[in-house]
Amino acid sequence: MTPHHHAWRISGGLLLAAMLLCGRANAATPDLAAAKADVDAHSVLPNFTAPGASFDARACMKGKKILTMPVSSANPFTKNIALAEIATGKQLGFQVTEWENQARPTQWVQGMEFAINNKYDAVDLLGGVNPQVIGPQIAAARKAGIKVFTSHLYDTIQKPDASVDYSLQIPYHKVGELLADWVTLKTGGHVNAIIIGSDEIIPTAPFVKAIKDRLAEVCGKGCKWTYVNAPVPEWSTKIQSSVQSALIADPTINYVIPIYDSMSQFVIPAITITGRKDKVKIATFNGTPFVIDAIQRGNVQMDVGESLGWIARSILDGYMRDLCGLPTYSELYVPFYIFDKSNAKNAGTPADYDRGYGDKHVVGYQTLWQMK
Amino acid sequence: MTEISVPQTTKPAPLDGRRGAPRMSLAKLAEAYALVVALLVLVGVFGLLRPEAFLSWSNISTMLGSQAVLVVLTMALIIPLTGGDFDLSVASMLTLSSMLIAVMNAQMGINIFIAMGTALVIGAVVGAINSWFILYFRIPSLIVTLGTGTFINGIVLWISGSMTISGLDQGLIDYVVVRRILGVPLAFYYALALCAALWYFFDYTTPGRRLLFVGRGREVARLSGIRVDRVRFYSLIASGVLAAAAGILYAGTIGAADPLSGLTFLLPGFAAAFLGATSISPGRFNPWGSLVAVYFLVAGITGLTILGIQTFVQNLFYGGGLVIAVALSQLVRNREAQDFT
Repeated sequence: MTPHHHAWRISGGLLLAAMLLCGRANAATPDLAAAKADVDAHSVLPNFTAPGASFDARACMKGKKILTMPVSSANPFTKNIALAEIATGKQLGFQVTEWENQARPTQWVQGMEFAINNKYDAVDLLGGVNPQVIGPQIAAARKAGIKVFTSHLYDTIQKPDASVDYSLQIPYHKVGELLADWVTLKTGGHVNAIIIGSDEIIPTAPFVKAIKDRLAEVCGKGCKWTYVNAPVPEWSTKIQSSVQSALIADPTINYVIPIYDSMSQFVIPAITITGRKDKVKIATFNGTPFVIDAIQRGNVQMDVGESLGWIARSILDGYMRDLCGLPTYSELYVPFYIFDKSNAKNAGTPADYDRGYGDKHVVGYQTLWQMK
Repeated sequence: MTEISVPQTTKPAPLDGRRGAPRMSLAKLAEAYALVVALLVLVGVFGLLRPEAFLSWSNISTMLGSQAVLVVLTMALIIPLTGGDFDLSVASMLTLSSMLIAVMNAQMGINIFIAMGTALVIGAVVGAINSWFILYFRIPSLIVTLGTGTFINGIVLWISGSMTISGLDQGLIDYVVVRRILGVPLAFYYALALCAALWYFFDYTTPGRRLLFVGRGREVARLSGIRVDRVRFYSLIASGVLAAAAGILYAGTIGAADPLSGLTFLLPGFAAAFLGATSISPGRFNPWGSLVAVYFLVAGITGLTILGIQTFVQNLFYGGGLVIAVALSQLVRNREAQDFT
């Protein structure tokens, strides 16, 4: 090998190293185009795409009955899904009953026993009833021939508890990515955020991880975040004080991301009392009416919402397919839709649970279930 | 040699006046201001660790303003506690008051002053119902207020439809947390004024002294000519009204009302009341002691949060701080039995 070859090899190596370094530097700059594409995709009214083959739901569900057990009947999110399930079941001519409870595991145990004694065909553990808490009752129900389902509980990247027959999962991690994209886009890649979660809630871990990973991916090195864990019973005492302290300790914070939007009611006073309303914005998830009201008043910047009527229909569609022996799917079919100042009024004033998402799902499911 | 501690309500006169008297007064002084010193030490430690954040006026004003609800609720508790009654329904009353204001003002469009007035009247009615069951049927206050509190929780869920209601009159929010004096939200000054009023009531008025006598010994008070039932009746009504006032402040602080979060104030309220009873006027529930207790606990939690300490450590501080402070106070008192009822 000649010195000339050596020179070429050295200069080639340097060039490669320089390219790699440049490549790394490029990855560290914000990818605003990717963030914008994701935000834009979730800013248009959702369109209905049939999640499976059409079937005669009325005929196959004749004589069947489902007991739906929300994590708490005092939780408006799960309560309203349960009510929408009951109404949809009525339209299809089968019985859906809600097991009223206030999030006490002993009440869930009673509910399972009620389902066994009254010969239900299926039990829907809705929106947070942890199957591990009622393991023996689930086993007894399945032994009695009752199918046990969970809905709106696990992330699609989580493995559902093996004790249940079937789970309809939600891609919480995609919401996490969407929130990260939103704050990246709005700050031009200069995010300094407080993320608030409740670690004891099953999907919190993948949800929060997705926000962090996506910030690292699209926002790059110019962005930073801190995470605060606030267990649900301590939301009122922990969230406000934690946010206040964080805002005082770091005046450059520009976003608070409470991953469940009911947390916002304790974030808003923290921002108000520290006098940071102009600099610190809130981006969150769930589409709870009072938070959409807060968008209309300028206290919250955005909320990723899900139509509760859509969720209820999607849950029943999955369950009916399973009970009727049809092919099923594991991802709950519910589009995510961004509410901000431009469209919050479409949800009503005051906002309503199922308004602002359009009505394509209503007709779509009617056709899918051969109701027309 | 083992010294046996005998519970006693009055200390015997010291046999050795030359040595005993100064030691007694020093011990009393130490006991009365131990919590204040602990608060200053806490502020000093966190101030040394994170001076730019913890000692900033914005942090101090935020701490003072955001805990006014807890201070007022603690005041609602110490009135019946002084008279020997527990009111476990105060947090429920706080929640009912804030929800009532939200439903009337935000949903029905009723004037905010009428909504606030209604909440205070309902507070008085709840106090009257509590006292009727306690005094007429001779049921312990603990049982009655536990029951009425749960009953009120049901009413709150019913009138709210289990929903969080926002959209309260901006004027209420402005006059609670937005407007400030010396950078501190007005809510703090309301709480401070209430402390001063209660201190005057307890220490300088006849009804206040009567309430204290009733709490110390009902039979003795009765034999002294005090109308014990009447005193207890008014103390429970005052508790209901102040809990409703705390609800107004809570609604003004968060600009909304939800059916559950207000209930979490019950235990911190009791913690502040009992911790406060070891300070300023030891052995008696007193407003200034309670105020110091609230801010001692808040300073600790805020400091830990600013340092980025994990959530569970805050609970260790809250619970541990209460038990250790009361235990130290007992050591200063030579482990004299305390009768808070």
